[in-house]
Amino acid sequence: MIIIGEKINGFIPKTLKAIEARDGDYIKEIALAQQECGADFIDICAGVAPEVEMETMEWLIGLVQEVCTVPISLDSSDPQIIVNCIPLCSQPGLINSVSMEEGKTGTVFPVIADTDWKVVCLTCNQEGIPDDGQTKFAIARDIVACARSYGIADDRVYIDPLVTTLGTKSDSMVSFVEAIELIRAEFPEVHITSGLSNISYGLPYRRGINMQFLCLTMNAGMDSAILDPMDPYMQSVLYATNALKGNDPYCMEYLGAYRDGLLPVKPE
Amino acid sequence: MSRVEEIYELVLKGRAKDISEKVAQAIDAGDDPKELMNSGMIAAMAEIGERFSRGELFVPEMMISAKAMQKGLETLKPFLSEEESAGIGTIVIATVAGDLHDIGKNLVAMMLESSGFEVIDLGCDVPVDAFIQAVKDNPNVSLVCASALLTTTMPAMKEIVNALIEAGLRDQVKVLIGGAPVTQKFCDEIGADGYGEDAAAAIRLAKGYIAA
Repeated sequence: MIIIGEKINGFIPKTLKAIEARDGDYIKEIALAQQECGADFIDICAGVAPEVEMETMEWLIGLVQEVCTVPISLDSSDPQIIVNCIPLCSQPGLINSVSMEEGKTGTVFPVIADTDWKVVCLTCNQEGIPDDGQTKFAIARDIVACARSYGIADDRVYIDPLVTTLGTKSDSMVSFVEAIELIRAEFPEVHITSGLSNISYGLPYRRGINMQFLCLTMNAGMDSAILDPMDPYMQSVLYATNALKGNDPYCMEYLGAYRDGLLPVKPE
Repeated sequence: MSRVEEIYELVLKGRAKDISEKVAQAIDAGDDPKELMNSGMIAAMAEIGERFSRGELFVPEMMISAKAMQKGLETLKPFLSEEESAGIGTIVIATVAGDLHDIGKNLVAMMLESSGFEVIDLGCDVPVDAFIQAVKDNPNVSLVCASALLTTTMPAMKEIVNALIEAGLRDQVKVLIGGAPVTQKFCDEIGADGYGEDAAAAIRLAKGYIAA
């Protein structure tokens, strides 16, 4: 699983407080802790007003690169901000995210075409976020075709089939899994990721739903997730599902995660 | 239990299957249709909103109650006068440009409708111009509701307020805003009329404006 660590995000109240107070130590601390917990990318989302987004991104990128060796995931809904942040990064990372609406791909794809940057693409378009697996897949197909037209190889594309909320739509996960299966069958090299916590909005014990959702979608072929790698419960799902799927001979990775203190139960 | 109370209970429990029959029975027995709507259905949805605010009920429960209410209203509508079924006010609602988050907006729209408002839902990622056009096209609109889930899209709310002023429509409508990053302070800063922290708060504010 490719883990995108989500904690440096201005939409998380504690992180926003640190951003507003320019508390660089806290940012560095959670950046490094996520890397130590296995994050493959450190997501950076300023989550501030547009006028100060660029300077905030610059500040955050500098801090993360001071302490981390893993690449950055640039997270903004403004494609121009993303493009402007690329030269600030010391190594190619991940762009989070673009969609087929309003020329977002047109702004970002040419810039990353001849680089090693990877890109998260959302399955939404001008008509909004589709709920059914077939439409999610159809948009994914358009995205892959568009990426290929810029020479972006399939394995640099991370499709996020945008999960809807279980509380308002009973077949949210069913259609999400359908999309995963269709994408997997047609584009074996493409990565599939998800921010996943949207699934449990409006329901009690959200963690429980998030955990089972992660397990079931990993089983369907999702190979990446945007989550808090410091959450031992999510870690337990990542390692246990991997082992249950037969990908962890003698459970060595699962045991390693236990000994490293990544699971909710700590070694004596 | 009176028939009105039974209808109230059916909405509260979200029993869409049984409600039409119960409404038809009440009409046959000579109950006042307006009373069935107000004291039966709308009162039940107000209670649902309050329980949701207190964390006693969850999103799916609110949805099935609203579905039950809609079902009951279908049966009731032919028996209401045009004026009675016209609703207590007309509202334009949407998630602002650049923002695709529509769950909260949909819940508020549903609860407003269930509270007796006529709701014009423009969807999500809606540009400022479309808000203004909707107010122009529907002269009976008295309330504009805007939702944003991103700090980066919140500024669009200020643009809506300003565009209403420029179009000379500001005095004709109240502007109500909501969404996770939105605060009362932000509401005051941009010159909106009200901030609702959840669906129930939005209903309270909307009803307050209509009564005023």
